[in-house]
Amino acid sequence: MMDTFNKDKRVKKFYPDYLSEIIFTMLIAFELLIIFVLLYPPVVGRQIDLTKPFQPIPEWYFLWLFKLVGYFHGSFAFIGTVIIPLIFVLLLLFIPFIDHGRYGRIKAIIAGMIILIGFIGLTIFSIL
Amino acid sequence: MGKVFDWLDRQFHLISPHKRFFQRSVPPDLNYTYCFGGIAFTYFLILVFSGLLLSIYYVPSENDAYKSVMIITNEVPLGWVIRGMHKWSASFFIIFIIIHAIRVFVSKAYRPPRELNWIVGSLTLITAMASGFTGYLLPWDQKAYWATEVGTSMVGTIPFIGKYLMYAIRGGAEVNAATLIRFYSMHVLYLPLITGILLWFHFHMIKRQGISAKL
Repeated sequence: MMDTFNKDKRVKKFYPDYLSEIIFTMLIAFELLIIFVLLYPPVVGRQIDLTKPFQPIPEWYFLWLFKLVGYFHGSFAFIGTVIIPLIFVLLLLFIPFIDHGRYGRIKAIIAGMIILIGFIGLTIFSIL
Repeated sequence: MGKVFDWLDRQFHLISPHKRFFQRSVPPDLNYTYCFGGIAFTYFLILVFSGLLLSIYYVPSENDAYKSVMIITNEVPLGWVIRGMHKWSASFFIIFIIIHAIRVFVSKAYRPPRELNWIVGSLTLITAMASGFTGYLLPWDQKAYWATEVGTSMVGTIPFIGKYLMYAIRGGAEVNAATLIRFYSMHVLYLPLITGILLWFHFHMIKRQGISAKL
């Protein structure tokens, strides 16, 4: 990293030190994108045909929700579709306030882990 | 600066209000894990740019939507590249928001006085996912139709108001042409506007409060 070179000489300024690193990072991000676009070009699915049965697949970042919905049936369906996602969202939004008091950080870590493991775990389950 | 820029500066006064921003010093203990938010923003800019290009050819109507996406993918010069960029950067946008959130969490940067900035960032993630959901319908193919059918039917499971809410989102009892135009409007007008405003809050708070350094 740059720090080791100019640690003793001067503090880093936003311009030009940091800005040049930002532009460099943006270019890397763009290149990463182009690699994926060229390797995996988008495909168009089949035209809508309501007479044929079809197994819907959502975008990958909704797989957890589709898996979650599958666990609850009938009149309890709203637990999977509304209650649990709402708990996830509220935990996420209120993390700064959960981190309060003596064991605040530990409580926040537990909340963060519930969201992260819930998201990643259910996504993996739905792929398997 | 050059003549042209000097002229622009006399019109808009660009330099003086941003002088402090550009010349401020950056905490020395920043490292490259602080890039993820910027990378996510890069993908947001690419999404806006490629989305503007796609909107030139896309037709949000029941009969022409699928055809226009076919034309974009197969006939328009580099149309498939622009569409691929839009689709892939949507995924990368979400991935890097999540990684950025993990970094913020690990470095405890959500703590006071930055609580509101964490909330704004979380709302950006939710808006991004909503954009992904509404955008998924727009190709109007088999996959899109059924994913939206199932996705919107989840709203219908909310006790009491669910049925009416689902009707309002779909613009009818089933996913139909009205749903397409509703989702199109959400995807290209409301949600990008909301995301833009949220990101402005996000960056403005960083500008005012400074970066929370020290991992």
